Amino acid sequence: MGADIESSSQGHGKKGPGVKKQKKVAAKVDMTPMVDLGFLLITFFIFTTTMSSPKAFKLNVPDDTAKEEEQTQAKASGAFTILLSKENHVYYYEGQLLPDGSNFKSTNFKELRSVILDKKARTNEKDLVVIIKPNEQANYKNVVDVLDEMTITDIKRYAMVDISQGEKDLIRVTEGG
Amino acid sequence: MPKVQIQKKSTWVDMTAFVDVSFLILSFFMLATKFKPPELVKIENPKSVSSENVSDKDVFKVTFDREGRCFISFSTDEDARERVINMLGVIERQKNMPLTNEQKAKFLNFSVGGIGVPFSQLPALLQLSDDAYKSFKQPGIPIKDSSNNQLNEWINAMLTGSGGRKPANIMLNGDNAATYPEFKNILAAFKTNGVFSFKLVTAMEPVPAGSPLSKKQEELRK
Repeated sequence: MGADIESSSQGHGKKGPGVKKQKKVAAKVDMTPMVDLGFLLITFFIFTTTMSSPKAFKLNVPDDTAKEEEQTQAKASGAFTILLSKENHVYYYEGQLLPDGSNFKSTNFKELRSVILDKKARTNEKDLVVIIKPNEQANYKNVVDVLDEMTITDIKRYAMVDISQGEKDLIRVTEGG
Repeated sequence: MPKVQIQKKSTWVDMTAFVDVSFLILSFFMLATKFKPPELVKIENPKSVSSENVSDKDVFKVTFDREGRCFISFSTDEDARERVINMLGVIERQKNMPLTNEQKAKFLNFSVGGIGVPFSQLPALLQLSDDAYKSFKQPGIPIKDSSNNQLNEWINAMLTGSGGRKPANIMLNGDNAATYPEFKNILAAFKTNGVFSFKLVTAMEPVPAGSPLSKKQEELRK
């Protein structure tokens, strides 16, 4: 602001004959740098707090050793299988995988939600079960994203299942590897 | 000489109030901030819409990073300390590997940051000084081979030591780029020991507008 300098220069200048100005010591302190510093520190603390607030995502997995009859059997018409692969590739098919692989479709994470919601709208809620099958190259982020998608689309029943060899081959052929 | 002098208006603004406010906010943030404990392994958590806060009481945490390494860590509260001591007792018996009291104290110390060595290297790890521990790159607990899934043995020892009482918070702290088989092997180790519910450590993400979940939440609010 520089206002304190101004006031001290006024003290030196003579206004008129016989007018003696008393030299005043500026009682004002320029607070601007202090405010700057204060806000800099505030910004620092704001950023550090928001960064360190992890959230817990609850995950319950079934007991594999449970008896066969106790396990819920997926009805073919209500089954929806999502396959995850490397580089965020997502594939899906409805019901059983046809031998020629004609119902095997490719999608991505952006469109996955509308695909699931579409399936949900067409299927009886009791029968709908989503099966998630990540392959060896799928990363943890994709797995959590899909599990999260189940929460977002409010799917009641979903399961994480090991991928079969046929599906692995199909993905490999699709990815051209 | 003019009698009426035009007064110069000062551009001075009194910043004192401003300073007061800024330092008030500053002290609030300083007190409210909880710094992350120094992490030896860099983990970038995936995002989820979950809004439940992570508890720091009685925590058993399994961390897995992008290099496929796996670590276990415990919280520092009384329950968890007792659990660690009991667990080490079981490990000593099972592995025939006597540990001194200093080594046990080191374990408690290091277990906040993470223990990630095979059993064979454990005594050597517990000889390290704090600084040496920080710079030492741990190879991770072996989990890849299902016949030598040592995480399984750690969990087993922990549950045996505490008489089957499970920790209140079993957390899985995984990196975005960790691969699925790693995650699967960790789940397998827990499942073998009869643990079926976990909390995944995630970063928060807003619930997408218009999705069934956001509609459900709106109804709950009404």
